[in-house]
Amino acid sequence: MALSPSFVGRKYGPFTYEVGVEKLREFAYAVAGGVPSLAFAGNSPPDGLLPVLHDKAAAAQSAYGAIVAMPNFAVVYAIGPFSAAIMDPELGLNVMMLVHGEQEFEFLEVVRAGDVLTTTGTITRAVSKAGKDFLTVQTESTNQHGRLVARGTWTAVIRG
Amino acid sequence: MTDSPKAPKVGDTFTLVRECDRYRPVYYAAASGDFNPIHLDPEFARAAGLPGVILQGLCTLGWAVDAFQRYLGDPGKVRGVRVRFSRPIAVDDVITFTGTVTQVDGERLTAQIDAVNQRGEPVLKGAVLEGVA
Repeated sequence: MALSPSFVGRKYGPFTYEVGVEKLREFAYAVAGGVPSLAFAGNSPPDGLLPVLHDKAAAAQSAYGAIVAMPNFAVVYAIGPFSAAIMDPELGLNVMMLVHGEQEFEFLEVVRAGDVLTTTGTITRAVSKAGKDFLTVQTESTNQHGRLVARGTWTAVIRG
Repeated sequence: MTDSPKAPKVGDTFTLVRECDRYRPVYYAAASGDFNPIHLDPEFARAAGLPGVILQGLCTLGWAVDAFQRYLGDPGKVRGVRVRFSRPIAVDDVITFTGTVTQVDGERLTAQIDAVNQRGEPVLKGAVLEGVA
């Protein structure tokens, strides 16, 4: 089924995500070339990983006072609306042929363990072009203080 | 942060090299929650028309952000990122990220980042990072 602009404006969420410190560490380790585990792989951080991303003592001395998330941890807490749109039976996308085409984030607040983040999203583009479907979802995530933490623009391409 | 670099200026460059080791898509799946089988299961990936498993595009984005936050010395100084995924990354690919500061306006700065594999083929297109000094 081809995507049509009639889906633009469709909304998903709110999705709530509660941030845990070990998850932040595991994410930072995996992105920085390490293993997201404190078990068999040992617990030494990957080379050059910024201390405020994994070291509690160093982070306590920083301006943030606690371990913070890599900015791109937004891919975890803010993905709800994008995945809901992709799986929406009314859109009828062939998930097997889906690839992530483009991604954009604007980061407005740092994220710390204990934050409760709420994300909503809206389809802003749904077109079929040259045998491919293009789906764009824009998201906004706010924290428990009501402050905007991140905006995301997520684009999937469904090949043939 | 106390270890921030000196004031960024136009033309500054920064680099990061990352290998997509055999288990990187598995590790990234565990950390991110992206368990799409095209990243984990070679048979499924081939059935989807790919040569084999490919790395999650959002891991590539993470590498680009990590390169930039290391340059800035502070993850809180990264204010934005925009990428197009132009070519999949396969197991054993080695990606070289080269960032260049293209604009400094007061405390805000913009950097472009090139990411190429070991054959010199770009894996990201038009990648831009926004930050504050």
